[in-house]
Amino acid sequence: MRISNSLLLMLLALCLRLPLLAQTDSRMLPVQAESRPPLPQTDSVRLRTTATLLGVGGTNLLDTYLSQEKFSGLGLTFLSSTALEKSYARWSTVMQHEANFSLTTDRSENAKELQGDYSFFWGRLRAWHFFGDRLRLQAGGMLRANVGFVYNTVNSNNPAQARLSLMVMPAGAATYRFRLFGQAWAAHYELQLPLAGLMFSPNYGQSYYEIFSRGNYDHNIVPTTFVSAPTFRQQAYIDWQANRRIALRVGYLGHYQQSEVNQLKTHTYGHRVMIGVVIKK
Amino acid sequence: MRESIINRWGRRLAALIAAVLCLSSCVDEETYPDTPQGNLEALWKIIDEHYCFFDYKQQEYGLDWNAVWQKYSVRTSDRMSSEQLFEVLTGMLGELRDGHVNLSTAFDYGRYWNWHEDYPANFSDSLQRRYLGTDYKIASGLRYTILDDNIGYIYYGSFQSGIGDGNLDEVISHLMLCRGLILDIRNNGGGNMTYAEKLAARFCQERTLVGYIRHKTGMGHSEFSEMEEQWLEPARGMRWHKPVVVLTNRSVFSAANEFVKYMKCMPLAKVVGDRTGGGAGLPFSSTLPNGWTVRFSACPMYDRNRQNTEFGIDPDHFVALSSADFDKSKDSLIEFARKVLME
Repeated sequence: MRISNSLLLMLLALCLRLPLLAQTDSRMLPVQAESRPPLPQTDSVRLRTTATLLGVGGTNLLDTYLSQEKFSGLGLTFLSSTALEKSYARWSTVMQHEANFSLTTDRSENAKELQGDYSFFWGRLRAWHFFGDRLRLQAGGMLRANVGFVYNTVNSNNPAQARLSLMVMPAGAATYRFRLFGQAWAAHYELQLPLAGLMFSPNYGQSYYEIFSRGNYDHNIVPTTFVSAPTFRQQAYIDWQANRRIALRVGYLGHYQQSEVNQLKTHTYGHRVMIGVVIKK
Repeated sequence: MRESIINRWGRRLAALIAAVLCLSSCVDEETYPDTPQGNLEALWKIIDEHYCFFDYKQQEYGLDWNAVWQKYSVRTSDRMSSEQLFEVLTGMLGELRDGHVNLSTAFDYGRYWNWHEDYPANFSDSLQRRYLGTDYKIASGLRYTILDDNIGYIYYGSFQSGIGDGNLDEVISHLMLCRGLILDIRNNGGGNMTYAEKLAARFCQERTLVGYIRHKTGMGHSEFSEMEEQWLEPARGMRWHKPVVVLTNRSVFSAANEFVKYMKCMPLAKVVGDRTGGGAGLPFSSTLPNGWTVRFSACPMYDRNRQNTEFGIDPDHFVALSSADFDKSKDSLIEFARKVLME
């Protein structure tokens, strides 16, 4: 299949910022042994691939509504990802549930901040196949809904921040299937970029008492763009195919949630080592 | 045809991704070093960007925060101890003359308390015991009894102590046959504003405008939102429909000051005692590089005439605790309140 100019440009843009591990996606399509004949194209089979992972790693928090200081510590992540598609179909539907919890301290180790959030991702990705189906590239868009909190243990009338946002995110994925040491492996990379959305934020010096007890609204639902809310997310995994249905997955998840609205700055950087299983049905 | 559509949208998508990657950047905040000078700079900047009374205090006594920086920035050195740094930082914060501005450390609590320490207390707990006796009732944060002239007496010492609707129903029910009520909030240093609103609502018979609140919308000293009206709704439970006298002194501060602001709007309420201590800024907190916590006024509140109550509210009747009355074991303020209620 001839690679069009637009796809080359997209690949180049991805390579400028992040490493691209081009490997087949064993999560999106069932991994077929070399000797297994392909399904007839007239028989469309519905495929469901679910990945369930747990991760641990570092978190860095900033929220200038609570403190000018940055807080860092350890965080846990739960990720469940489901891909739905029909065999030989170009489009797939992806749904992901991600939950995070972190316990952080400032550099003096005097104040603590607890952070927790849940994100739901829903998206549609189109696939292109190369090199005899070993390389699969996907591109499309995802919708991310996020709810969470940050709680500071030493503050008075501003002890916590609520997080609520909706964002449209262009998404891309690259997967490469290969054999090594007689085993079937697959490597997968996924990226979501910010585009536009909506988020909740108090105004610069507005108290939650004024918003919720007095009902005084002041720019608390804010439209965002990739300039005011540059939130990124990337995942890189290696799958070892234990059998035709189950694979063991290990890799990295990085989420970089950021915003600068109402003259308040926030960032939540999470780096997780993830491990889990992938099951195909 | 279909291929050209895909190529066109593919080019647009690639251009969009390139724009996102080029135009977005890390959201970060300046980090100050954990040195005496670094902590001083961080504290000065936090107050400069978040404190809400600069314009008002510049008018009242000529506060100039830039001049404060010039005065205190030369007082730090890398060899100074934590106690010495604490002294410099609290001295700088003291220029704000604000009881809501504090510096918390493991070894001390930086404060400006001149708003009550420079004035007579006008309150004696030993005198109060002569009126409460020993068989007074306790309903959560309220202590109450009926005086021998059938005047009800309630003491509420702190709005940090919660009160529930059930408590207030029971207290008002117990006192309902009294000819009047003394509500003593002397030495009440504040607490939860929700409790102040809940108590004031028991004396409110119709929806009443009681004041205004606003907040900062940016880092500039004059960047504020519009003044938002504060309305008090009558409580749904039992309400007090007879005269009430609120007793105040200079230690009435913060949420208690707000309570006096609300009660000044009630037709049957009179305030007796001394000017309140003020504290009309809802405080926020932040932390310094060395872990010390600073509290500061962030959201100013105003009375119904849009006047700032940061430096206190005058009573309807100025009454002080006299030594002659003290010798007779009489509380001048309570006795004056009884006379007002008898009229």
